[in-house]
Amino acid sequence: MKKLLLSMVALVVAFAASAQQLPDVQVENTEGRKISIRSLVGEKPLIISFWSTTCKPCIQELNAINDQIEDWREEADFEVVAVSVDDVRMKAGAKAMATSKGWDFTCVYDANQDLKRGMNVNLTPHSFVVDKAGNVVYSHSGYTPGSEQELLDKVIELSK
Amino acid sequence: MKKLLFILIGLGCAASASAQISLGKDGKGGQLMGSFETNSIYYVDDNVLGSKPDHDLREYIGSNSYLKLDYAIDRFSVGVQGDFYLPAIDGYEIGTRDENYKKDLQFLLSGAYAQWLDKSYSVRLGSIYEQFGNGLIYRSFEDRQLGINSSLLGASAMYRLNNYFTIKAIYGAPRLLDGWADSRIGGADLSISLSELFKSQKLNLSVEGSWINRYEELSKDADGFTAASFETKQMGEYLNMYSGRLNMDIAGFSLRTEYVHKSEDLGQIDTEKAVAGYAAFAELGYNYKNFSFSGQVRALENMGTRLSLYNGATVNQLNYLPALTRQYTYMLANLEPHQVNVEGELAGQVDLYYSLRSKSDRRKYWNFHANYSTAYTLHKHQSATGERELIWQDLNVDVERQWNKSWKTTLLYSFQEWSPSHGHQHRTYVANIFVADVTYKINRKHSLRWELQYLLSDDYQGDWVAGLVEYNFAPHWSIYFQNMYNLESEPNFEDKKPLDENFNPRKVYYYNGGFSFTHNRTRVQLSYGRNRAGYICSGGVCRYTPAYTGVNLQLSTSF
Repeated sequence: MKKLLLSMVALVVAFAASAQQLPDVQVENTEGRKISIRSLVGEKPLIISFWSTTCKPCIQELNAINDQIEDWREEADFEVVAVSVDDVRMKAGAKAMATSKGWDFTCVYDANQDLKRGMNVNLTPHSFVVDKAGNVVYSHSGYTPGSEQELLDKVIELSK
Repeated sequence: MKKLLFILIGLGCAASASAQISLGKDGKGGQLMGSFETNSIYYVDDNVLGSKPDHDLREYIGSNSYLKLDYAIDRFSVGVQGDFYLPAIDGYEIGTRDENYKKDLQFLLSGAYAQWLDKSYSVRLGSIYEQFGNGLIYRSFEDRQLGINSSLLGASAMYRLNNYFTIKAIYGAPRLLDGWADSRIGGADLSISLSELFKSQKLNLSVEGSWINRYEELSKDADGFTAASFETKQMGEYLNMYSGRLNMDIAGFSLRTEYVHKSEDLGQIDTEKAVAGYAAFAELGYNYKNFSFSGQVRALENMGTRLSLYNGATVNQLNYLPALTRQYTYMLANLEPHQVNVEGELAGQVDLYYSLRSKSDRRKYWNFHANYSTAYTLHKHQSATGERELIWQDLNVDVERQWNKSWKTTLLYSFQEWSPSHGHQHRTYVANIFVADVTYKINRKHSLRWELQYLLSDDYQGDWVAGLVEYNFAPHWSIYFQNMYNLESEPNFEDKKPLDENFNPRKVYYYNGGFSFTHNRTRVQLSYGRNRAGYICSGGVCRYTPAYTGVNLQLSTSF
C-alpha cells in the first residue's frame, strides 16, 4: 500500500507540467438542449467556472467577474462559461438565479456531474482558463474577493 | 498518525507540481490527471459537551481521504479511485473502527473504469455514475460529505443518433458501504427529441422513458431475512420501476414532468409488507430578463428503494428523493433540515428572483429572492390524528444590495415550521430566523465579511444567536471565527427531551475558528472548534453528525 502511494506521489512530482484538454462531455444549455462542452471552444479563450446555488463563494466570484466584465473586455477578448453542478433538486433554481443575476455568461448545467468528475473538481468554486485550442492553461479553487484578478491576468496573457 | 502525516506531506509535495501530466511529446502519449482530498479530525476531550459519545475519543483521529487518478488518450480513458479511512470520521457508516478503536489504515479501491467516449456512442466498463430523468427511479452518485458512493460496478453503453434519440443501458452490482450489494441492477433509458426531428429552433420538446430492474436472491440465511419471511411480506426477487417524462422549453418557459411507477417492494428495513409505489413530479420555470420564477411539485408514495434488502444503512438507496426546500448556507437557518417522508409526501416549492442593476454603474445592484416550500403527509392514515398533517414549511426572503465597489449587504428572513414527529402528530415547532451578512472590500486584495444571525423560537431548543467574522487576503489566505450560542439556560420544555437526547441544558458556545490557504488548485483549511450534533442532508439522505470538539484539517488538490 505504502509503496503504491509512494510511487504515485513520485510519478506526479517527477513529470513536468503540460496542458490538459477539456473532456468531451455533454452538458445542458439554458434551453435544455444537450451540448458538448468542447463545442464552446474555439473563437475566444474561456474562463470556465464551476458553481452551485449553495456555494456562496462561487456566486461571489461570478458576481465579481460580472461586475467587472465590461472593464475586462476592454483588455482582452474572452467568454465566461458558468457550469452549475446543482443536481435536479436545484437545477431549476440555478437557472432562475443565473438569469436574474444578469450574468453576462454562457450558463451550462452539469446535473450528473460528468464534467465535474472529468475535470477532477473536488471543491467549488473551481475556475479554469482555457485557450482557443481547448487546453487548460490555468486553474484555481476557492475564492477570496480579489482573486478573480488572476483569471483576468491569464486571459490577458493569452490575448497577447 | 505517522502514516497520516506521511500521506499528507507526500500529497502536499505532489500538489505543488500543481498541473496535470502529459506523457510523450506534445501530450501525444496521453494525459494523467488526478485529485486528492482529505478531511481529518483530531478529536479532543471536551467536558462541556454533555453528550459525550459512548466511546473515548481522546487522542483519536478520524480521517477520510480520496485519491482519484485518470489517464486519457484521445477518446479512451481509464481511472481508479482509492478511499482511505484511518478510520472514518465519527458518524460515517463506512470504515468504522473496531471495538478497540484501533483499526489501522483501511484502504478501499472504491472505483475503477475504462471508457471509450465517441461523438455518437460511448462504452464504459467499471464504476458507473448515472441518473435516469430526475433520479426518481435511479441515481448512482458519490457524495463524500455524506459518505455515499453508490456507483454501479458493471457496464454501460450509450448511442445517440443525430440528437434525434439517445439510448442508454446499464447493468452491474451497486457499491454499498465498503463492498458491493448482492443485488444486480439493470436498466435502460430512451430520450426522443421531437423538436430535433421536426427541426424546430424555438421549441425544445422531448419525450423520455426509463426502466430499472433490481434482482436479489431471497433465499439467504441472513438475520430476520429468510425466504419464508419474504413470502410473508409478499416480496419477489425482481423489482421493476418505470418512468415516463415530457420536457419542454419555449420562449423562456421550461416544463419538466415525470411519472414513476414502482412494483411491490420492501422500501425500508422495517417495512412489514411489500407495497407498490409511485411518484409524480412537475417543474415549471420562467425566465425573462432580470425576473425569474421556478416552481416544483412532487407527490410520492412508498418510493424509498434500497440497493439491497439486507442492509439498513441510510446510504443504501437506489433512487434520489431530495427534499424540495431551500438549501441554506447560514448556520441557524440550517439547524433542522427537512427530511423527506418516503412513505408518502406531497411537497412543493416556489422561487422568485428579481434584480435591478444601475445602468451607469454595473457594480451597483439589488437582488431580491423569495422562496416558499412545504410538505404534507400524503394520506390521512399516515397520521395518528386521522388528518393529513404538515411536515414542513419555510417562507423566506432575502435582499442583496451591492452599494458600491466596497460595500455589500445581504439580509435574510426565514419562517420555518416543522413537525418533530414527521407528520405523525399535529404538533409543530416554529422558528423565525434573521440574518445580516456584510462584506466590506478594503482594497483590491483585502476584504472583511461578517454575519450576525438570530433564531427566535418558543419551541424546541429556544433562541439561538450566531456570528461570524472572516478576513480575506486575496488570493491565498482567509481567516475566520464563528460562534453559535443557545440562549436557553434550562430545558423548560419536558416534551422535547426524548426528541433531542443530545440537547445540553447548559449554555454552550459552539465556537469555530480557522484559516485557509489556497494556491492554484490546492486548498488547505485548518480549524479548531466545538461542533453541534446535527444532520447533514442531501438527496433524501441525512447523515447524523455527533457533537465533537477537535482540530479539523481539510486538503484538496487536483493535478
